Amino acid sequence: MLMEKSRPQLSADELQQLRWLLGGLLILIAVSTVAYMDVDAWLLAIVATAAVVAVVLRPGLPARVPPLAHRLAFPFIAVFAAWDYYTSAELLPAMIHLDFLLLVYRAVSYRKKRDDLQIIVLGLFLVIVAGVLTESLTFALHILVFTAGTLAFLFVITLTESGMTAGVAAGSGMEPGKSSGRAAPPAWTAVHWRHLFRRLREIADWRLIALGGALFVGVVAVSAFLFLVIPRFQVNSGFFLDRLMTKRSRAGFSDSIRLGDVVDIQQDNSIALRVDVSDPSHIPSMPYWRMVVLDEYRDGEFRTSRRLKDELARSTRTTAYLRGLPTASGWPVAWTFYLEAGVSRYLPIEGPYQRVQFREAQQVQENARLRVVSLRNDPVTMTAYRVEGLAGEGYVPDRFFAEALRRAQRIPPAPVGNAGRPGDSGQPRNGYPLTTLELPGRPADVAALQRMAGQIAAGGVQSAAEFSERARLWLTGRHAYSLQVELPGGDRDRVVAWMESGRSGYCELFATAFTLLARAAGYPTRVVTGFKGGDWNAYEDYFMVRNSDAHAWCEIFDGRAGWIRVDPTDGSASGNSGAQAAAGQSGTVVRRSDRTWSARLDAVRILWYRRIVSFDQRTQFAVIAGLKDTTANLGAAMRELMGSTLRSLRSWGNGPRAGWRILSWFSGATATVWGAVLLWRRGSSLWWRRAGGSRRGKMDPVRREAGRWLRKFGECGASPVEDSAVLSELQRLRYGSRSTWAAPTAVFRRARRAMRKHARIR
Amino acid sequence: MNLPTRTWIPGPERIGADSRAHRAGWWSGFLWSLIYPTTNQRVMPTVSGWVLIGLAFGIGSAAYNAANNILFIALALLLSCLILSGVMSWVNLRGVSWLILVSRPLRAGQEAPVTLELRNCKSLVPAYGLWFDLLTRPVATGPRRPEATIRATSGQIRAAFTQLEKLTVRTTLLQRERLNPRGETRLDWTFVPARRGMVRVELTSVGSLFPFGFLRKSHGIALRRDVPVWPAPVEYRFVEVAATPHPAEGVRLAKAGSGNDLLALRRYQTGDSHRLIHWKASARLRRLMVRQFAAESTPGYFLRIDATPGIWPREEQFELMCGFSATLAEDLFTDGRIVGAVIDSGSVIEIHRAGDLETFLDRLAVLEWRPFQREPALAAKADLGAGGADSAGINRAAPARRNIITFAPEGIRGVAAYVDGKITATA
Repeated sequence: MLMEKSRPQLSADELQQLRWLLGGLLILIAVSTVAYMDVDAWLLAIVATAAVVAVVLRPGLPARVPPLAHRLAFPFIAVFAAWDYYTSAELLPAMIHLDFLLLVYRAVSYRKKRDDLQIIVLGLFLVIVAGVLTESLTFALHILVFTAGTLAFLFVITLTESGMTAGVAAGSGMEPGKSSGRAAPPAWTAVHWRHLFRRLREIADWRLIALGGALFVGVVAVSAFLFLVIPRFQVNSGFFLDRLMTKRSRAGFSDSIRLGDVVDIQQDNSIALRVDVSDPSHIPSMPYWRMVVLDEYRDGEFRTSRRLKDELARSTRTTAYLRGLPTASGWPVAWTFYLEAGVSRYLPIEGPYQRVQFREAQQVQENARLRVVSLRNDPVTMTAYRVEGLAGEGYVPDRFFAEALRRAQRIPPAPVGNAGRPGDSGQPRNGYPLTTLELPGRPADVAALQRMAGQIAAGGVQSAAEFSERARLWLTGRHAYSLQVELPGGDRDRVVAWMESGRSGYCELFATAFTLLARAAGYPTRVVTGFKGGDWNAYEDYFMVRNSDAHAWCEIFDGRAGWIRVDPTDGSASGNSGAQAAAGQSGTVVRRSDRTWSARLDAVRILWYRRIVSFDQRTQFAVIAGLKDTTANLGAAMRELMGSTLRSLRSWGNGPRAGWRILSWFSGATATVWGAVLLWRRGSSLWWRRAGGSRRGKMDPVRREAGRWLRKFGECGASPVEDSAVLSELQRLRYGSRSTWAAPTAVFRRARRAMRKHARIR
Repeated sequence: MNLPTRTWIPGPERIGADSRAHRAGWWSGFLWSLIYPTTNQRVMPTVSGWVLIGLAFGIGSAAYNAANNILFIALALLLSCLILSGVMSWVNLRGVSWLILVSRPLRAGQEAPVTLELRNCKSLVPAYGLWFDLLTRPVATGPRRPEATIRATSGQIRAAFTQLEKLTVRTTLLQRERLNPRGETRLDWTFVPARRGMVRVELTSVGSLFPFGFLRKSHGIALRRDVPVWPAPVEYRFVEVAATPHPAEGVRLAKAGSGNDLLALRRYQTGDSHRLIHWKASARLRRLMVRQFAAESTPGYFLRIDATPGIWPREEQFELMCGFSATLAEDLFTDGRIVGAVIDSGSVIEIHRAGDLETFLDRLAVLEWRPFQREPALAAKADLGAGGADSAGINRAAPARRNIITFAPEGIRGVAAYVDGKITATA
């Protein structure tokens, strides 16, 4: 029987060393999740990494840890976890810190099998929590690497455990804390890593490595298949981890912004929002992604008034769907938004909508008048939502505002002395909609604003659109755009003082200034913050909106039934939708296309969001339907192909001299196949010789064949006298020098004949 | 030594799959075996397996509760790892065959080596981490009435099992090293048979935790080998040597020995003296041939073992007699002075070769002591002449012989050997 050349095997100590190394690597993989988990655990991660690297390189180090330290370890960890939770009041970060500590402890202790399993469970917790919290593409890489490492780790554990006799630990670990003094480290800790890696190279067989790789690919393929077919149900219980952790959004997208908050966001070039559109032709030339509407003005600061906030809070409900008012655009175009965590709880939407749908039930708040949607809490993960029936063009219908304003203006104002502050009842002096006409408290500032508004209006009466264009030109003519601005000091309102200076400004200043001017002229106006524009990712056809696209603009009431978007910031000529509409221009699709490497990488991320993170029951049905259609189409195509082939064969067969043609075809095919077989047999033998196969220690196929024939002759009891010629030739092929060989094919033919003769005799 | 036939026993999957395949076709049998385990197959999750199952449940519940695809990904990976574990475990055991070799002879009180030879018939994948559960237990020989347990109490049944368990020796052999593709390895074990008789060496199950330790898979095998255990050697001393001159003394015997007569020619074996080479025959046959001479006869003895109930009132004496007779037979065979033996009314065993001796010892091994239920018969001290009845009144119809060795109790514990009725040795 042929036996494989024996490969060396790892000894028990070497297996233990490999087990120790794999355990350390797994811990490092788990600890590295802190890089994208946005949890304040960097210090613990650094300590864990340093400890793991140290004990992996020097496995004898844990033996130096005094037993007292082992005894105190768990009480210390428990106390630390309690203190951490008490101070942070957030359960999930405390659990993550606890996980880190336990991993560090396991890393610096000699481990038994159950301790190794603990490492796997703790590491898996970190990786999954990181994935759930961030839904990042990095999680996919992380979980694959962690799975591969875990499988290898478990494999080595099984080998080491099966190699141990019952009741003998073979130096796998010590019992910490059970000996009075420091025990000697196990024998396997005397490791030379280079020697171990050399041994691993010796025992490695490329076929087994390829098989292992193929098996892992199979695992991934099976898991992908299971992911697709696992049935999805809408439980509507909502995501649960958000209750265990809080996250603060950026200040510029909250219901209260100070001057400079939006500018701070603009310093960040990371992507805040990605937008998929089912029909790119519906994308406006310059999209404005509305998020927060700010109506109340106090001391240079715009905020959402109390009434609007209360309305929003009262609208809180847990749902996966929101129904807006019917819009002119109807249903066909679907917009899918992927809002990154930490941006805001207010959801960017381009304009009025007909329906908003979430992946799972969310606690949402909606102000239908303002067309503002927000989540109840700042989301800790990426938020995906789908908007249908979006009507853009920068116009927000509000049929009831005019009447509400008239009614509010008939109500007497609160007593003097409460100017600018809530009255004793806690209600604001001017609630919405009156806040849309609110001006600074100082009469001097009001007078200055009225004077400037008078200059803009030039004594005439204009529509809101006309006034907004005049005011925009007036502002841009006096102030340039700059992010580095120093506002004038003094007791006056800072924005008014800025308007009277010639200094440059940023979007918040322009928006605030325009709002005050329009209000001074008697036009209800409000500030809106959100994002403007974005880059078009040509690789996957979607919008990439960065934090640097954060913007502030205005909405001015047109006096009839809606609000017109106005962007007074210098360089935003196309943002004035009112002027565009007045001019009868339609927005052409002119987008800034991004074809950089970062766009290419981001395209992978959007694929991750589209295909994996947002995979739901509807998508599942769509995949199944697509598979069914593909299979049906393929089947139809195959049937058509077979039918046409049969028809052509039939017509060929019915043609003249069909018999001869069939015979010649058959002979030709047979000759081709036979020639190919002969060529293969001869060619492989020649290739073997030329490729120096024998140098690699493998058997020459000719020698192997000769050996097979010799065995056959031996088994059938060939006569050494009668078959001596054949046997000697076979022995020469098997053992002799290649230069003394006769033609192997002829020798094997003679051997075959001799074997047949034996068979006949028997 | 009587070597068993080397018939490799295929792995359990093949046994299980084949048995079903014959009934219902290969594919349906194979698919069925994937769903419903084959006979005697047991799969139990280990601690890590339970952890994995618990994790899968937990993550699955969280995934459905939160409808979070990240959790579904983790769940899918866990399930696929379980599937991979099952596939690799199946591949690991596939193509592995084994063979139990029990080196004979086995003697009571002496270490008996048992070898388990493993062979991996796979061409690419090695086999790892197998364990083999072996046990040995005495087995009863001869016809037995089936036990009726209808009236047995639970205590009696438990006592019977406990008694059986006391006589059973169990062990687990671990395959510590990798079994290469197309490789073989041996696992050795020794046990000490407590007493003579028939002992069963059984491979009860084969199991493995391979590859990840999630599942403890074991296949019941029930591969048995019943081996006789010869009596333990006994020290004895001669009282006097008595032998009747055998008329055939000095006659050439048809067995190889150191006589002067040429018996046969045989092939040269390493170690043969060169002076024994027959050059003419070697030249003619073109291979080295040596001369083999016949042995010369020496006075021979015939052993008669009488296990009649009543002759041996005590079992210990009976066992001593078995050991004494076995030891004496071996010593006589070594000296070439034994011609045959008979046990009770069985057939006469002519002892000329080692195989004949082994046959006699095998029969001696399974000889049962039966307590007498009436008055004990007189000990067989009478002269057993040719054709005469023995003291038990049974005409053995023994051939006319001399130098017949018989055994009888001596005292409370001893056993004496008689040659033609005269005491010769005691133990």
